[in-house]
Amino acid sequence: MKFLPNRTHATTLLPARTMTLLRNWTLVPGAIAASVLFGNLPSASAAVGDSIVIEAGRIITQAGEDIVDGVIVITDGRITAIGAAADVEKPWDAPVMGGPEFTVFPGFIEAHTNNGMDRPNENLDVTPFLNVRDSIDPVNFFFEDCKRWGITTLNVQQGNNTVVAGNGRVVKPVGVTVEEMTIRPDFGFKISISPKSGKSRATQRQTLNRAFGDLRSDLESQVESAKLDEELAAREALGQGREREAEEGEGRAMTGSGWKVEGLERIKRSEIDEKVLPLLEMVEGRHRTFLYCGAPMDVQTAIDFATENGLLAKATLVLDASCWKAADAIKASGLSVVLDSNMVHIEVDPITEEETETFVPSVFAEKGIPFALSSANSSTNSLWFQAALCVGYGMERTEALAAVTTAPANILGLGDTVGSLEVGKAGNLLLLSGDPLDMTSWVEFTIIDGVKIYDRSKDVRNRHLLYGVEPRGTLAIESTASETPSKIEVDGEVTEEAKGEPVEEVAEEPIEEVVEETTKKD
Amino acid sequence: MKTIFSLSAFVLVAPLTAFADSPQIVGDAPAAPIEASAPVEAAPVKFVISADAIYTAAGEMIEGGTVVISGTTIAAVTPGGESGEDGLHVAAITPGFVELSPRINLADYSVEESGEIMPTMRATSSMDLYDKRWERLLNSGTTTVLISPTAEDVVGGLTSVLKTGGDPTVEARVVLADATLAGSFGSHASRGNHAVFGRPTDHFSRRPTTRMGTEWSQRKAFYDTLAAIGNVDRQFAGWDIMESVLNGERPYIVQASATQDIRTAIYLKEEFGIPNMVVDAAAEAWREPGLLVRSGMAVILPPFDAQGRTAIDNGFLAWNSAKLLDDLEVPFALSSHGSASLNGRLSMQAGYAIRGGLSFEDALAAVTITPARLAGVDSRVGSIEVGKDADLVLWSGEPFAATSRIVGVVLNGELVTK
Repeated sequence: MKFLPNRTHATTLLPARTMTLLRNWTLVPGAIAASVLFGNLPSASAAVGDSIVIEAGRIITQAGEDIVDGVIVITDGRITAIGAAADVEKPWDAPVMGGPEFTVFPGFIEAHTNNGMDRPNENLDVTPFLNVRDSIDPVNFFFEDCKRWGITTLNVQQGNNTVVAGNGRVVKPVGVTVEEMTIRPDFGFKISISPKSGKSRATQRQTLNRAFGDLRSDLESQVESAKLDEELAAREALGQGREREAEEGEGRAMTGSGWKVEGLERIKRSEIDEKVLPLLEMVEGRHRTFLYCGAPMDVQTAIDFATENGLLAKATLVLDASCWKAADAIKASGLSVVLDSNMVHIEVDPITEEETETFVPSVFAEKGIPFALSSANSSTNSLWFQAALCVGYGMERTEALAAVTTAPANILGLGDTVGSLEVGKAGNLLLLSGDPLDMTSWVEFTIIDGVKIYDRSKDVRNRHLLYGVEPRGTLAIESTASETPSKIEVDGEVTEEAKGEPVEEVAEEPIEEVVEETTKKD
Repeated sequence: MKTIFSLSAFVLVAPLTAFADSPQIVGDAPAAPIEASAPVEAAPVKFVISADAIYTAAGEMIEGGTVVISGTTIAAVTPGGESGEDGLHVAAITPGFVELSPRINLADYSVEESGEIMPTMRATSSMDLYDKRWERLLNSGTTTVLISPTAEDVVGGLTSVLKTGGDPTVEARVVLADATLAGSFGSHASRGNHAVFGRPTDHFSRRPTTRMGTEWSQRKAFYDTLAAIGNVDRQFAGWDIMESVLNGERPYIVQASATQDIRTAIYLKEEFGIPNMVVDAAAEAWREPGLLVRSGMAVILPPFDAQGRTAIDNGFLAWNSAKLLDDLEVPFALSSHGSASLNGRLSMQAGYAIRGGLSFEDALAAVTITPARLAGVDSRVGSIEVGKDADLVLWSGEPFAATSRIVGVVLNGELVTK
């Protein structure tokens, strides 16, 4: 498999008719079109025992030193061997891809996104009973872009315009059903500390407090009434002179670091309103939460809220660029953060109008706060670009690369499976035409779980963006000077015309015609 | 040129006359070895900047060299030289960027309702030089811009070339007053307009209301100009400005984004033999390269977009457009439409053009010397040469790489640092 230089791509453009065909295919259910275009046909998936060997001139493992002339063996979707070509035994029957011209890098990880859903926000305020499973659209163009720019793991959460949102999910951008895409189902909840549209900060906080406060008082009264029921049953049994049938031990005592309702073991979990049950599980520390802060003033509120309700151990802050100002409070809380795709915060002095620019990721890097970058997911603003800008602003290259691979993996608790290229981890990697932070590098192949799910040479849309369609008139310029006259000569000599065979018409230069038209209108 | 001022009654005109009267250099003028190259010892050396690489946009890259600035101009560019003793040392130096389509244009965004053919209007009359966008542009490396009236009129008026910094007066910042004439094709010139019949008359009750009307108005303007030449009875306000376009004294920069509008612009150029025409926001210039090459028009490309679409008339800008134009030897400039954001600024546009296949040197030219030539100010700005204005961009690494940052900007010999 060889990397085709740009020029080759240009000349191997699909003929116009094929392009039309491809375009028509999008009329077929999008899922099929997407899988045809991107080669993720069922046949491409790895069967049990399947191995693939990846060779590269350079492997950036994100787990120690880079490997020069390295080899990676992926079996059943997991990396089973990685190292210098001389040290790794390649299965004799495994297909080999890559080559010395490639740089291999772990798949990028998007620590938090609202993209890829039908609608990211819900009208209702407190909706922990909802699930993004029902909203993720596997054939959303966003996931196609993820393959194209090398994002292999994504944490999809509901939007920030919420109070308590539905259950999130960690997915890979592969598959035509949500189940196929899923890496971690029912993964965390978004909680917004910043006001949802139409609310003030006070009402937002009130709604939040009430959600958890109501839960607490409801549980307490449920326990209370259970106690009364028990007492009544005991008294009744006593009055009737019989042994009371014990119903204890069916519920579970409340755990976690936040507030507790004593005697919750009296209540069966199935008796608790399923609409608020996830809130209880959050308080018990059983769910991750992603606390959105749209302004620095929200950060301390978020930390206090997380502490009161026992969310701290599994909480991550999702921050607006301005929140760098609260970095000290964040550092003290020990929380990890996901940064906004806008990495430069500009503050305008209200009197002098002086502008102060702050490059946000550097603040978190200097304070030693675990942070992940996030992308707006486009060619110009994808994770590689975000990391590159960090280097431009003076961050260590290793730290910038970590912020789009190992750091988000660790923040999501997936550090054991993704984020770096090591034995035992998922075979998620990119074959790049150059260094991941280089302007001229492209993702040539994306591999997820050892399966090639993206091949740039087959990416029609990328080709269209890069080269347009075949520009009209290009050939005309090149040919009019030399080729066309000689063709005419040939036509003149050849006797085929006399035989009555259709003479191949020399393409007329359309430009000339048009000029005539223009002059006519005078 | 002279009569416009007598026709105009604007207050700003008086100081501008001084510039207009001095000989104007339009087009590919050689870098004039004027005063600054003379006595280097006599003029106080202001400061010396050394760099690992100096990309001059006027010949070979100088590996390890110094730029000596004296007053407001470049006094010397030398390989080697004492690096960073008392002066500044950076990884790389490029010329300050020149942007022909900054879209910073007017403090008050408005549609001029006095008419559609307004050659005597001046963008400078409407500039707010205290606007923060100037400073943002300067900090992002853009030191010279061409400011135009909006494209809402068929013939919008006169543009001027200004520095993005310095004292906030037009006189202090102007490089070339009344540099070019601005025109418009496509939907913008007719946007919102409607016929006068059937509804209350407002300032949108005017022509043209379609692309056809825009084209008609353009052609009528030039026919009227031809008629006005030598016939006092047919002269109208600004006919001589139109004439200066017809005889090539002044470039005509027209906005046209979609292929059909670029075509229309080309036909106008050919019909009236307009010698010096530049098509701005030409997203779809790549679609009909044969026509473009034949026309001899220069191109200003709009900013690149992730999905290929541009804001004006939804033109599709293929990412290799710059490379294609370069291969066709069509003179072209890149533009950011005034974005100073990290992703949109002019230096990033050069980076995206490189991602689309353009060579580094050609990308550099497309944001420096080529736009300077197109605006007729290449004798003063656009490259690092002795005698030219000391407008420099200082880099932390390889210019235009995503991993590099602009660490300083020199404007008129003054260091501007964020």
